[in-house]
Amino acid sequence: MKRVAAVAVNTFRETIRDRILGVIILFALAMIVASLWLASISLGQEDRMIKDFGLVAISLFGLIVAAFVAASLVRKEVERRTVFIIFSKPVSRNEFIWGKFLGLASTMFTVLAGMTVFLFLLAWLVAKSPSGELLLAGLLIYLQLLVVMAMTMLFSTMTSAILASVWGVCVYAAGQLSHNVLSLSRTGHTEVAHALSTVVFYLVPNLSAVDLRAAVVGEGATSWPHLVAWCVYLVAYIVIALMAATWIFRRKEF
Amino acid sequence: MRLLRRVMAVALVVLCVAVVVVYQSNRPAAAHPNPVVFVPSEGFYRNFSPSVRVTIADVYWLSAIQYYGEHLKSDHRLDSLPAMVKLVTALSPHFTQAYFSGAFAMLDAKRPDVAYGLLKRGYAANPRDWHFPFYLGFFVYACASGSQKDAVAAGWYAKAARLPGAPPFVSRLAAELAAKGNETQTAIDLWTQVYCQGGSYAEQRAVTALDRLLPKDKVAREKAVAGLESTVPHALFAQFVADLFQGYK
Amino acid sequence: MLAVRDLHKTVVVGFRRRKVDILNGVDLEVRDGEVFGLLGPNGAGKTTTLKVVLGLMRPTSGSVELGVDGLGELGYLPENPYFYDYLTGREFLRFCARLFSLDAHECDTRITAILADVGLERAAGVQLRKFSKGMLQRIGIAQALINEPRFVLLDEPMTGLDPIGRVEVKEIIQRLHERGTTVLFNSHILADVAALCTRIAIMRGGRVIWQGAVDDALASDPHGDLESFFMEVVRS
Repeated sequence: MKRVAAVAVNTFRETIRDRILGVIILFALAMIVASLWLASISLGQEDRMIKDFGLVAISLFGLIVAAFVAASLVRKEVERRTVFIIFSKPVSRNEFIWGKFLGLASTMFTVLAGMTVFLFLLAWLVAKSPSGELLLAGLLIYLQLLVVMAMTMLFSTMTSAILASVWGVCVYAAGQLSHNVLSLSRTGHTEVAHALSTVVFYLVPNLSAVDLRAAVVGEGATSWPHLVAWCVYLVAYIVIALMAATWIFRRKEF
Repeated sequence: MRLLRRVMAVALVVLCVAVVVVYQSNRPAAAHPNPVVFVPSEGFYRNFSPSVRVTIADVYWLSAIQYYGEHLKSDHRLDSLPAMVKLVTALSPHFTQAYFSGAFAMLDAKRPDVAYGLLKRGYAANPRDWHFPFYLGFFVYACASGSQKDAVAAGWYAKAARLPGAPPFVSRLAAELAAKGNETQTAIDLWTQVYCQGGSYAEQRAVTALDRLLPKDKVAREKAVAGLESTVPHALFAQFVADLFQGYK
Repeated sequence: MLAVRDLHKTVVVGFRRRKVDILNGVDLEVRDGEVFGLLGPNGAGKTTTLKVVLGLMRPTSGSVELGVDGLGELGYLPENPYFYDYLTGREFLRFCARLFSLDAHECDTRITAILADVGLERAAGVQLRKFSKGMLQRIGIAQALINEPRFVLLDEPMTGLDPIGRVEVKEIIQRLHERGTTVLFNSHILADVAALCTRIAIMRGGRVIWQGAVDDALASDPHGDLESFFMEVVRS
């Protein structure tokens, strides 16, 4: 665990100090503030627009961090040969992958927490409607992005950083459309189509089971059992993705 | 030679900047408004992931506002507005402002029928919100025609008055329209409820109206008032009777 | 300390999955406490041999016997090392020390000593992206020694160093030798090899073509020069 923690702390420091991350965060904050302008043309719906589009901005920019930074985490170490320094020490491949993931997860938490709190304050000061559901939505976005991160890290053990990033974004998009795959799997006209769409439905992470913004804008809350079940599902998915990544990484030679 | 190349490079950059500025400055202030815009059906988005419906609704809401403003100022054609508002409310059924603003915008679009249907859908999705039956009553009163319209409007106002949060004047409106629509007994019941709300103004209005609606004959009036005893709180009933029989021996 | 026997390594490259033999039966022996030089032209298989010894690559066949108790007693400096841009020297060494599960107090003590050893005390708080090539090489050596290893492998430790830097690295290697640490290093600078090493091996085409004491090599060369001996062996 100490070695996992050492790799995690190292990764956290590296990613937090990376200037690209700072630029991404600035853009995200700018977009959140831009939602103020959208709010002004919404005919009295500032509250709803700030929260909805603010959460969209947090999701999108969090996705950029999850897909692009996660893809380069492992790849950069291999390309720059810093893996030689790490694996010449008593660190297992498992510890390396988990440490990297936990380090970036800590960075992501810091970034998302900052943006969510900023949005919360904006909603409180401008729209005069602070909402606890906003903080919960931020937490659930974080969980979704952890899944994307885990999948991107898995892809990065098999392919280049750019491709892994693209696949990571595709996983996010496919996860949002999981509902459609379910419909497809039930309406397939041939056995093959039905089987294929069922397989895809189980392979692609279901990121659309809960509408994060619905409760925030008053469209009705998801029940707690459903929420907890979804969170447990996402955590299980993350574990599977990381175990697959360590299995592939263990077979790599440098 | 080097100086010439440098001058040419600068000249090229200046020329390109000039092209960019001239092109942009000749763009029209607003895009050419097209009254007919493509609006996907709600079925299309219903098949989309449920996790982004609210955001799609908000995007279309903003588009609808822009569309409405642009065309109200120009050609007064709001051909696609009903579809836009229907889509927004289908994707976000509890977005109550969309129903209300949409309904009033439909009046500008000369489609009160669409406004009425929209509000009815909104009421079905939000049955505890008094605004919906209130606005339905308003639309019937303001836009409908026929001998039954007052009675129908009164019915909607009465429904609104029974919902939590409805202000006191809604029940008075219901009662007035019921009387106007020749629904005498309904009007009497509604004015009785107004009286029971309390407050000197409400009591005064109720007594004045009931005095007009109840039979003038003392015996008939007594019989009618006796029939209201179950709807008036016991503590108030004596005062209620006294107010209605002022001037009677 | 190290016994490599009949080591073979084949890799598969390209779209057509062509097999390439990188190591063709390497036999190598490094004794306890000696400074051993591994020489050879580019592509001879020196770095691959080190990687197999360290477990970064798996041998196709053959055996590697290490006289240490796992990677905790090894130190390694790769060729042309890159490090983490945004960490300071001290943070990087603390990270490396933590990978050996050293506790905080021990970490700090060793880091201070190591930084003094490699002459980087003043730059300890500077981010690595601002280090010069020579400073990076020295921090690389520092991380290789942070766990006080019994066996140190250095891949081209003098690369990119100015004459002063080379002298300092040579002094570090000599101090390690005096302490009884076994050192194996690759280098193309034969003068340094001649000055530091007790024994050498020369590789070509994925195998060791000559192995023995430096004195024997110098004695068998008509000029008494390691460079001409090397050229003679490699070309024959």
